[in-house]
Amino acid sequence: MKTSKTIYLFFLPGLILYSIFFLYPTASALFYSFTDWDGFSEAFQFVGFHNFERALTGDSIFWKTVGNNLKFMLVVVILQTIVALAFAMIVLKNTKTTVFLRALYFFPTILSSVSVAFIWSFIYDPSLGILNQLLELAGLDFLAQNWLGNANIAIYSLAITQIWFHAGQMLIVFVAGLQAIPQEMYEVAKIEGASKWQTFRSVTWPLLAPSATIVVAYTTIQSFKAFDLVFAMTGGGPNNSTEIIATYIYEVAFRSYQFGYASSISVIFMIIIAFITFLQFKALRSDRVSY
Amino acid sequence: MKRTSFSLWASMLVLLLVLTGCAGESGGSSGEDSGDKTTISFMHWRNEDKAVFDEIIAEFEDANPDIAVEMNIYPSDQYQATAQRMLQEGSTGDVFTSFPGAQFESLQKAGIFADLTDEEFVSKFDENLISVGQKDGKQLALPYQLVFNIPVYNKGMFEELGLEVPKSWTEFQEMADTLLENGITPIAFPGADIGPNQFMNSMMMNNALDEDVFAKLQSGEESLTNEWWVKTLEDFQLLEQKGYIQKNALGTNADSAMAMVANEEAAMIASGSYHMASILGLNPDLQLDLLAPITVEESEAVYEGINTATFMLAVNSKSEKQEQAKKFIDFLSEPEIASKYANGTGQHLTVTDVNYESEALKNTAYWIDEKKTRFQPRFLITNAQIEDAVLSSIENVLGGEDPMAAAEAAQKIVDENRE
Repeated sequence: MKTSKTIYLFFLPGLILYSIFFLYPTASALFYSFTDWDGFSEAFQFVGFHNFERALTGDSIFWKTVGNNLKFMLVVVILQTIVALAFAMIVLKNTKTTVFLRALYFFPTILSSVSVAFIWSFIYDPSLGILNQLLELAGLDFLAQNWLGNANIAIYSLAITQIWFHAGQMLIVFVAGLQAIPQEMYEVAKIEGASKWQTFRSVTWPLLAPSATIVVAYTTIQSFKAFDLVFAMTGGGPNNSTEIIATYIYEVAFRSYQFGYASSISVIFMIIIAFITFLQFKALRSDRVSY
Repeated sequence: MKRTSFSLWASMLVLLLVLTGCAGESGGSSGEDSGDKTTISFMHWRNEDKAVFDEIIAEFEDANPDIAVEMNIYPSDQYQATAQRMLQEGSTGDVFTSFPGAQFESLQKAGIFADLTDEEFVSKFDENLISVGQKDGKQLALPYQLVFNIPVYNKGMFEELGLEVPKSWTEFQEMADTLLENGITPIAFPGADIGPNQFMNSMMMNNALDEDVFAKLQSGEESLTNEWWVKTLEDFQLLEQKGYIQKNALGTNADSAMAMVANEEAAMIASGSYHMASILGLNPDLQLDLLAPITVEESEAVYEGINTATFMLAVNSKSEKQEQAKKFIDFLSEPEIASKYANGTGQHLTVTDVNYESEALKNTAYWIDEKKTRFQPRFLITNAQIEDAVLSSIENVLGGEDPMAAAEAAQKIVDENRE
């Protein structure tokens, strides 16, 4: 009996840290979302659901940021998962070359986001940037774009940078998942005469579901929270075309000093992420995987 | 083995704690008072002025052995976001700087500014240039720098091509056509960062003569769909359609735009006087001056340019070292020290009797007394979301949208965010 009580004590440090750094800020955000607090005054008023009503029905920029975030998320989740999986399959075997390639593909992940933003802002520069210059050299001038200055494509340009930045990280998850698949499964598939595509579809992908679930969920959350890249590369412009929910919360809280309203957007943001992650877990059905 | 491992981890932990303890934002001392010396914190956003301030601070400390000054510098974006919180706490920023406009308004609402009205050093500043730091008859902050937010142009190039400074919108277009005929981009527009928020000021200065136009916009008495703003957007559209600004302008940042002027690919940069020193750093042979677009006919033009009195020096009302903080501002406002700062950083100042030594500053000093300039209209927008809506309408037009449609879209956001 005494032992079982002692066990609970081991949870305590984690619980305290979790309460201080997650539960308390979350509860604070929820509390302030019902106020008109400006972030510095001691006095504030309770405004009920006014902030939520304003965000959902009276703020066109908020809905634009939701749309931008969904576009960004879809491109990043789909392409990053495909790229990470494809590269993971290429570097799956443990040879000197593949270990080197894994390190190479992982390299962007260790860079700071500001460095990545700097590198890619230079790549995308319409007149001096290497991307347009390469396209011109290849005789593909018609493909040269104002990558970050064109409101129609800027969000996708940012998505490509995000994929370059984080695909290596997801590649490692996929490599671990692929290496955990028993070789016997492939041997059986081979004996049965399955093609490479059939093997992938019927053996690899289903057994990779736990890894894919982690990759997709993590990438989704990561793309919703891609504040630093967006802030450093476009600042949300041009014409709010790259403003995402995270940068908008910053804008409302720290430039407009409307912390109450920013808190309400944060609460909505949290609900959106939780809902999408829940849908993904349901769709990928990782719990059904068994050997 | 276990003991060795434990010792190693313990040493690393201690090292980490020591390093963490040593790491301060300024990289200097902790800001605590030691013995008879009082350390004040000077908080600002101009990292590019650090070397000059270091020299000035050393002189100040020699003249005032009982006071030490520690600089706390933050990038301007971070400064806008976090200054208020740090100032409110009182331990940082005994002397601090504020932007005019939204930040000044918000800081004064929070009661952060100590009243400087009766301080003797206020008289060392040009009284016509410090009103932006006043509220309800009190001098809360003293703008130190005087910036002209109008395009910098290549004067030598203009002389070579026989071009005069245009005095009307018609003349401006003729000038731009001549530059284009000579294979030169008339205006390098840094549309990816500061271009819209800088160029909007001179583009609208004669289209909207009422200096309260943005206050009225925020109160609902004015609209972006009225002529003053729609015409401004139409003028922007004309610059884009006629190729007076470079292709893909919204993807060009300030560094690239400065390079265009330094390489003489472009004749002007749509930013401000603060870029002159950097452009001359890239190409010292250039002869530069300032030129604002006059978007009306000559007879209707009232203003010749835009000024911004900024980098507003202030004393934190929460500080316990206000006397020492005021001594430091007094020192900065001495003409000799202000001259050192002006020449060292390539800035015009609001302090009177400053002796400008650099050619660029001397050549443009006439803008202070001889030109009719008005305060930067953008800084009179005190609601950041309304400011963003105004700027977005410019980006929208440069992206191909019809001016009236862009104005309507922006006005919708203004209506949503009106206080």
